[in-house]
Amino acid sequence: MSSDRIIKLELSRLNLHLPERRLSLKEALLSPRPQVAARDGSVHVFKRGELEFLAGLLPEADRDKLPLPILIALEPKLGRGTARISGEVEVKVVSQVLGKEAAAGELLIYRPEVAILRRKLPTTTQYLFMW
Amino acid sequence: MAMALAVAPTRMELLKLRQRVGLAQKGYDLLKEKMDALVIEFFEVLKRIQEARPKALEQLSVAHRALSMCFAIVGTLETKQASKETKRELQVDVSTRHIMGIAVPAVEVGEVERNALIRGYGLHMTSSVLDEASKKFERALKLLIELAEFEESAFAIAREFEKTKRRVNALEYILIPRLKEAIKFIMMRLDEMERENFSRLKRIKAMLEERE
Repeated sequence: MSSDRIIKLELSRLNLHLPERRLSLKEALLSPRPQVAARDGSVHVFKRGELEFLAGLLPEADRDKLPLPILIALEPKLGRGTARISGEVEVKVVSQVLGKEAAAGELLIYRPEVAILRRKLPTTTQYLFMW
Repeated sequence: MAMALAVAPTRMELLKLRQRVGLAQKGYDLLKEKMDALVIEFFEVLKRIQEARPKALEQLSVAHRALSMCFAIVGTLETKQASKETKRELQVDVSTRHIMGIAVPAVEVGEVERNALIRGYGLHMTSSVLDEASKKFERALKLLIELAEFEESAFAIAREFEKTKRRVNALEYILIPRLKEAIKFIMMRLDEMERENFSRLKRIKAMLEERE
């Protein structure tokens, strides 16, 4: 296999862990076994403790607007170690978790903040690689 | 130094090589991002292991002290007999969570500590010292399950990190330098050909002028 094909294969495999369909926080809270099916056919399970923590951060009306997992988009264009959080409710939640000022629709976070976010929400956040 | 690729010095080849460098660079940037994210995950798990391991070991030593006490007070044979009568089932929910495609175990344990009445051994032949030792072992078990989850995660992340690093190194030190070397070679060759052409044309022009 040529090196180009290997690189293309490698790039196509980077996002296989992402879910086919995201679950809202409300759906996840109501489910007896909160989980999503990934594109590679595996199953990703959310920890109930984290769902309850997220529920505590949001008013009840917003719970069905928060898709899970929250995606931490890593984009080399933004610079090494910079990640983007998109979506109004996602930004609201992440801002609260990190103690940052809420931005409208999009939030850029940096490596130490990504580490904090992943520490607090290990199952309800996932990396997304963009190019 | 990276070995240069054998390429034909043509403009077409130059364009192709530039595209290949672009793709390799993109792959390199993304894999580097993945490696950084893996490092974050690895250190996070490591921190949790560092917190969980002393707790589990401390609880185990407390439990072993309680067991020694139990052997001394209740008797070795009686304690062993009670352990054989104990129910061994434990409700553990083992699933997976994904960190960039790495499946790491996610273990959710129900209540590990049990009531003396539901442990299964007879109460009339045993003492509260045995209950206390059992309770301490159950606590230790819960901590050990957590520790196992973290340690398995750390191994899985480390394995993936190793693989990714190998790919990043191959791109950084072998493929990209080779492609760049080939581009440099083609550009030099094309420049050289242009210079040759130019001097040839000058020479022809001079010859034609001489004839006239």
